[in-house]
Amino acid sequence: MDKEKKTIQARLDSFHSRKLWQDKIMKKIFQGSAILAALMIFFISYFVISRGIQPFLSSYGDEQQSLIAFISGDRWRPDISPPVFGVGFIIINTLLTSLGAAVLSFPISVLTALFIAKIAPPKVRAVLTTIVELLAAIPSIVYGVFAAGTITGLVKDVGNIFGINTYGGNSMFAVIILLAIMIFPTITSLSVVAISAVDRSLELGSIALGASQMETNFKVVLTSAKSGIFAGLALGLGRAFGEATAVSMVAGNRMVGPTWNPFDITRTLTSTILSGMHETSPGLDYDMRFSVGIILLLVILATNFMIQVIKRKVGGVTHE
Amino acid sequence: MKKTKIFVIMLLVAALFAGLVACSDKKTDETKAPTTEAEATDAPETEVATEAPTEAPTEAPTEAPTEAPTEAPAAALTGAIHVYSRDAASGTRGAFEELVGFEGELTDDAIVTDSNGDMAAKVGADQYAIGYVSLTTDFAANNIKAVSYEGVEPTQENVLSEAYTLARPFNYVTRAAGDFGDDKKEQLVKAFIAFLTESAEGANAISSAGGIVDAAGKKPWADLKADHPIVDEDNSGIELVTVGSTSVEKAIRAALETFQPMAGNFTFKMSHAGSGEGPAGTVGAEKDSAKKGDIGFTSRPFKDTEDVSQSMSNGTFCLDAVVICAQVDNPIANLNKDTVAAIFKGEVANWEDIK
Repeated sequence: MDKEKKTIQARLDSFHSRKLWQDKIMKKIFQGSAILAALMIFFISYFVISRGIQPFLSSYGDEQQSLIAFISGDRWRPDISPPVFGVGFIIINTLLTSLGAAVLSFPISVLTALFIAKIAPPKVRAVLTTIVELLAAIPSIVYGVFAAGTITGLVKDVGNIFGINTYGGNSMFAVIILLAIMIFPTITSLSVVAISAVDRSLELGSIALGASQMETNFKVVLTSAKSGIFAGLALGLGRAFGEATAVSMVAGNRMVGPTWNPFDITRTLTSTILSGMHETSPGLDYDMRFSVGIILLLVILATNFMIQVIKRKVGGVTHE
Repeated sequence: MKKTKIFVIMLLVAALFAGLVACSDKKTDETKAPTTEAEATDAPETEVATEAPTEAPTEAPTEAPTEAPTEAPAAALTGAIHVYSRDAASGTRGAFEELVGFEGELTDDAIVTDSNGDMAAKVGADQYAIGYVSLTTDFAANNIKAVSYEGVEPTQENVLSEAYTLARPFNYVTRAAGDFGDDKKEQLVKAFIAFLTESAEGANAISSAGGIVDAAGKKPWADLKADHPIVDEDNSGIELVTVGSTSVEKAIRAALETFQPMAGNFTFKMSHAGSGEGPAGTVGAEKDSAKKGDIGFTSRPFKDTEDVSQSMSNGTFCLDAVVICAQVDNPIANLNKDTVAAIFKGEVANWEDIK
């Protein structure tokens, strides 16, 4: 009897030690993946920055560029000699198109999310959730083809009503509509998650105090979910800033700016990086694309910071 | 939950199907339309050439721009010209600006397109557009038409006969005989030049890369091969170096890659930096420097200052043409060099100002 107990104990021990040993290995693997993923951002930043600052250093030789002229410039003419690289107006164009898209898309997305999470009956909720998920899964090139074929036609017709001859519909307006559609699923799906996570007791408390369901939804649910909703906005804006393929198909790549007229063609940071990329050869024109890449990273960082600031001001609730 | 998902997907599939059906209806409509359109545009085009210069300016202001596409192809278009260009790295753009003579002077207001196809599609969607594409573009599919240059229609025949002047020759020049430093290499270069200029396979490779070659009179390589026994040897130790124009790179790469397996798998290195370095690196001042090459290329005729007479062989292997294009509804039919330059420089801003 004792002997039997002992063998069972020994078996259990070996089982536990093996399990512990496996746990340790798995832990290391997970740790390694996390470190690798985190290192990527350093590799990418290092590569882009080291390449992108080259043209502004004296070691670049005759073609050295002035950083101030680059940041404040209102012309992008790599084709003339000497080439003119002014990114200032492109930053404004990028902010205008992305923020314009966010202004169009954000209210619709949040209201859709509120409907999906709180108001819709379960069956409708399932249908709408699937549709939003499918929208998020559409590749950007498909959005681009859609924009070049349909949105531009629409913008052209709208322009004709106002008596404006658009460039075949290629315009800032077309870019804004395209980006608004593209960032809608991102903001919506994150908002749905945030709104669903709001504690039911908060809602019940609000209703018990005499607030109507709608008052509760807007004043309690949305403010409680704001952290997640703004995370969705930040991700959506990130997509808007970073979208290159679809945007270049309808932007028109204006060489001067900034563009204020929504029916005029525009140029964004991403379309500038992409335009002519496949035909260019290593040299100034190639390196300047990395410089534009740095500017794009900075613009995205600055916008995310602004969103954090706005988030703290909105709703008056200070907890995260 | 799962059931509704399946239901939604089925719904989407049904929508897709309905869309396809709707599109196929549209297509039958479209196929009917062009025949009448073609008739409508064919006739006025000839009229425009003769009448437009005198009549257009007086008639133009009375015609509303919205009517132009449907009713008034014979009347001149009024409104701002939308200039379409390619990005700075484009070879087509380089050729166009060089041939028309406004290098570096493109108007700031131009719209920049990404590729030849992108240019064609965008010009086809904009009634006020003017752009340029390569001769091999599918004009009808993109809703665009070719505009004659200096009164000459851009066709393959006119390019080959040199009547159409918005074209340029792609020339080659080899090192002088006995100057290759290796007899085998010299024979291989000779074989490649024969392949490039005389064989049907070579002509095929060049035209697939956008070059214009007269296919008539080309022989299959099998017939020419007998004169060049070098191609049956193992040439993997030989490296051919090509220098010169960047515009010819695509065509030459296509020809070299086709020729490579037919000629003992030689290797090649292409260091193209500009037309000037073609003659210079083979028979000129740079022929023994680091920029030297076995075959040099130019995308223009040889200049008087470039003496290519001592080369083993030289000549034109294909032509390159650029075509000015506009939407099919645009009544413009012909433009001359000065007008084209003025339009692309932004000096002429409206369609009614074109004389």
